[in-house]
Amino acid sequence: MRQARIATFAAGAAAVALTVAGCSPSDTDDDAGPVTLETWISQDMDTLFPGDAGSYDPISVLDVVYDGLVRYDPETTEPYNYVAESIEPNDDNTVWTITIKPDLTFQNGEPVDAAAFARSWNYTADGDNGLYSNYFFSIIEGYDEMQPETDDDGNITAPGAADELSGVEVTDDLTLEVTLSSPFAGFATMLGYTGFFPIAQECLDDVEKCSTQPIGNGPFRVTEWQQSQELTAERWEDYPLEETPGYDAIHWTEYAAGETASWADFQADEIDLSFPPTAEVEAAKNDPELSQRYVEAPGAALTYLGFSLYTDGPWQDVEFRKAISMAIDREGIISSLGSGQATPADSWVVPGGVPGGEAGTCEWCVYDPEAAKAALEQAGGWPEGEKLQISLGDDDAEVEYFTAIGNSIEEVLGIPYELDILPSSDYFSTRSAQGFDGAFRNNWFPDYPLNENYLSFYAAGSEEDSQFGWYSEEFEDKLDEAAAAPSLDESVALYQEAEQILAEEFPTIPFRWSFSATYYSERLDNVVLNPFSGAPILRAIEITA
Amino acid sequence: MSDAAASAPPAARTAASSPVAEAWRTLRRRPDTVIAAVVLLFFAVMAAFPRLFTSTSPRTCPIREARTAPQGWGGDHPLGTDALGCDVLATLVHGVRPSLLLAVVVVGISLLIGVTLGLLAGYYLGWVDYLVSRAVEVFLVVPLLLAALLVLSLFKGVDLGAGTFNVILLPAVVLILFGWMPYARYVRASTLEAKNLDYVTAARSLGASDVRIMTRHVLPNAIGTVTALLPTSVAGVISAEAVLSFLGIGVRPPATSWGIQIEQGSQWVLGGAPHILLAPLACLVATVLALVVLGDALRDALDPRLAA
Amino acid sequence: MGRYILRRAVQAVGTLLLVMLLLHLLTTVAIQLNGNPAQAFFGDKVATPAQIAAVEERFDLDDPCYDQVGNPCLGPFVERLGQYAQGDFGTNLRGREVADIVATAAPNTLRLFCIVLVTWLALGMVLGSVAARWRGSAGDHGIRLTSVLIDAFPVFVLLIVYRYVVAVPLHGWAEDTFGADSWPPYWFKPSFDPDHPWATVLVPGILLGLAGSAAFIRLVRASQLESYQGDHVRTARSKGLVERHVVVHHVVRNSSVPVVTAVGLTFAEALGGAVITEGLMNIYGMGGVLWGAVRDDDVSLVLGVVTLLAAVTVVVMIVVDIAYALLDPRIRYE
Repeated sequence: MRQARIATFAAGAAAVALTVAGCSPSDTDDDAGPVTLETWISQDMDTLFPGDAGSYDPISVLDVVYDGLVRYDPETTEPYNYVAESIEPNDDNTVWTITIKPDLTFQNGEPVDAAAFARSWNYTADGDNGLYSNYFFSIIEGYDEMQPETDDDGNITAPGAADELSGVEVTDDLTLEVTLSSPFAGFATMLGYTGFFPIAQECLDDVEKCSTQPIGNGPFRVTEWQQSQELTAERWEDYPLEETPGYDAIHWTEYAAGETASWADFQADEIDLSFPPTAEVEAAKNDPELSQRYVEAPGAALTYLGFSLYTDGPWQDVEFRKAISMAIDREGIISSLGSGQATPADSWVVPGGVPGGEAGTCEWCVYDPEAAKAALEQAGGWPEGEKLQISLGDDDAEVEYFTAIGNSIEEVLGIPYELDILPSSDYFSTRSAQGFDGAFRNNWFPDYPLNENYLSFYAAGSEEDSQFGWYSEEFEDKLDEAAAAPSLDESVALYQEAEQILAEEFPTIPFRWSFSATYYSERLDNVVLNPFSGAPILRAIEITA
Repeated sequence: MSDAAASAPPAARTAASSPVAEAWRTLRRRPDTVIAAVVLLFFAVMAAFPRLFTSTSPRTCPIREARTAPQGWGGDHPLGTDALGCDVLATLVHGVRPSLLLAVVVVGISLLIGVTLGLLAGYYLGWVDYLVSRAVEVFLVVPLLLAALLVLSLFKGVDLGAGTFNVILLPAVVLILFGWMPYARYVRASTLEAKNLDYVTAARSLGASDVRIMTRHVLPNAIGTVTALLPTSVAGVISAEAVLSFLGIGVRPPATSWGIQIEQGSQWVLGGAPHILLAPLACLVATVLALVVLGDALRDALDPRLAA
Repeated sequence: MGRYILRRAVQAVGTLLLVMLLLHLLTTVAIQLNGNPAQAFFGDKVATPAQIAAVEERFDLDDPCYDQVGNPCLGPFVERLGQYAQGDFGTNLRGREVADIVATAAPNTLRLFCIVLVTWLALGMVLGSVAARWRGSAGDHGIRLTSVLIDAFPVFVLLIVYRYVVAVPLHGWAEDTFGADSWPPYWFKPSFDPDHPWATVLVPGILLGLAGSAAFIRLVRASQLESYQGDHVRTARSKGLVERHVVVHHVVRNSSVPVVTAVGLTFAEALGGAVITEGLMNIYGMGGVLWGAVRDDDVSLVLGVVTLLAAVTVVVMIVVDIAYALLDPRIRYE
């Protein structure tokens, strides 16, 4: 997951500055106390250590606390250099030379230099530390030597042999030379992800402390975190770079039930950014005043159905999978259950959201009861008396969606279904152990904006290692070819061809794209959503109170 | 959550000696009791013969017809449709069976376990009593909901099939496991009391066997107070099922129950479709109300000292 | 009395150990059946065996017994007891200190329970006494009907309606009337605010208390009715004591015995209500923490929290026993 934020910041800021100067003279700002942005995060945020932060909430906090080598343009999601002065690959995209802007420091005064990045990457890449973002570094040479050895039962027999990535070399104070284990044209795109943020030596000396009181290099400093209740960050006055907002502090209230739980507080003017629970979406839309303070953007997360292609069943037949796909009334389900807060999916890569994403690559993702029945006929029908098992994790909203999917399939094809709702730990381990029998829910939120990220996890190397039980040599060859392409554009085009292979073999059924939308309070201005993550770009927000 | 308090007076009252017929006569004289009985009968019939009330299947759910407002008798959807497009009346009618069955099964089996253990503990005392008392204590200390969470999440992955009984099996097991203690406490206390009554001593001196004394002399004495608890307990289980459903660990969708309907409906109470909540809520409140009224009446009838 | 308390305390420790063992076994089986929580750490990402193994080690799940269904995993249990004895409650699955979690969450839940308890006692004693005193009157019937209605109405519906329908307008009204810096707006804040814990937990606590009060009202009424018919009341009356004296000293005092007992027992049950209230009102408390811990198969958190809760419950039970003896002169301990 990636936080692409601000982009047209300079232009936007200039425009906003003019507007603001016109309506509210700055000298009337005699209100005592700092101007604080009030927003929300979910309660399960556990860490703010860059290498361990993998979900929406820590990423959105870290986005204002740390600066990465690159940041992402909110219009195109393309990376541009931020902390990096330049990022240059060699001819075959295997060795990347990164130079860092001079005179940057952490909030504790330590320099942000090549060593700061190397120390962060080495720590996260070291498998013995068991950090979330560890797998990102598998692309860098020397990764394998840093991973612990395990026996067949999955118990550690020996720690990793090396403690540093041999592919990361600090050539001088501000220059890093990164050698990849295989060519990858999109490497620069990965570098803005939280896992690649630098860390201070003081942070590494006490990782536990740094997980709750981060020492960042971004425009905000975390001043107080009452874990599970609230988090406050204040503006860092000595911030040397340009992307920093005009307000003084950000206060996150943590909600157990996530964003929609904050809606009542939003209505009571206690929170600046929020989105209503499904049932209240209509009412909010129809409120003429409220609908003025609304932004929306397509999201990049794909929810899709997989089949246990490793067990025997009608789903082995591609026609059957097509029948199921065409029997799902995506439009109807999404407009009714989500009040339109999602987009029916007809591709495997988010259209428009990332380079190479196009709508309509899935030919059979249109609701067509007649064609669905015909396809089922061709596939030999459904065995009498059996039920189609649909497995998913125990998330209430998702259970509702998948009940509707099941209803839709049952109505069109006459296939009775049964939901198999599992606790999430069970769900994930069953999936990776190939333990389902029927259809199952999947969700993918990409780590960085490149179509490759939506496709590469299908390439497991063999049928046994794939969570879908699907393997295509053609597909894997195409991915290798794309990764080795000389330029990013050529690479993107080859990945598109790989998506075509997926579309033909049809191992999974796209269902819906996430959709981001936010209402904001009267005092906010310039609220822009990151087209990639869907989070409001905090650094761009203006508070006009 | 509330019956524990209601069902745990310090010492069991001695059961009334008045015969059952007397109790029956008292019951009949109270109009609220009659109304309560009619309400319960109505839902019992609904549970047994759902097709009498609706011909629509609760599993036919065209999503594009979701949240249709109630159309009144004669319409396609007399009580409207829910968030998934299923007919509310049909879901309601077909949801009675799991709700009531769960309540009856849970109370029945808990009663059986509680009475047996309480009787044995109170009669034999000694190590039997020690074991039962410790068990009661341990189970009382673990909060029901926590235990329910643990056990239900434990078996969440277990596939039980989709028959009415299978659907309620898990919640039933949990509610029984953590619901038998009040009965055991009651029965133990009344057994202690009854054991020393003259006629029991007499029976023993005449050489009656332990089993005979327990079933013929002690049990009838102890069962009175417990009987009065039953309707309230059934009501408690119905409410508990709603709470479990609200937390997502009750009956599993697509199977349905009142609890699930209330849980789903509660989201839409402000979204322009309050009928999704109100219909099952009204049924739940009516049933629970009827059961509690019946329980009160029964207690008064069995324990004339408290009659209003 | 001293010996009695000592014996109860020893018994309590035994019960506590049994409860812990029971929970340890349940959670262990949950892990064995449900698959490893370490897998959930990676969510949708596919992790290599080495990555999973490293995470297992990081969170103390690397004992092979967690992979063997049916193995009671007594090793880790004993190890954990040893750590508890040294005051180390370990960390949750994400490396956060259990002691820290409890220290943050417990005060909020205790606040909630305090308000619930006060609501119970106030409503129960007042309404129950009134109903018993004027038995058979319209008031009595009204109170009984109300208590039954309260009982039948699911508490979560009450809270949802309060939060989404009532709280927002009330909050706005209070802000307009009393000003943003006064207390009333905080009473009606739709969610909990850790900076003003008492004010924002007040209304949710009263609502939760209201929902559980029905049983109390009935209990007080029943036990006072019994007292009114008791010999000691008849004697007191025949001595010519003023009716108020009889009611206060003989009826209310006597009937408080079962009420105190019920408070002790209901304590554990109230946690169920706490899960819902905390979840809906966004209070970070023990109910929500436990709920999350159980869902994530977080053994050390479940055990840490439950041990604490069970300890509190056992202490409350003992206190209740003692209060019992003080309130009811007929009860004596050998």
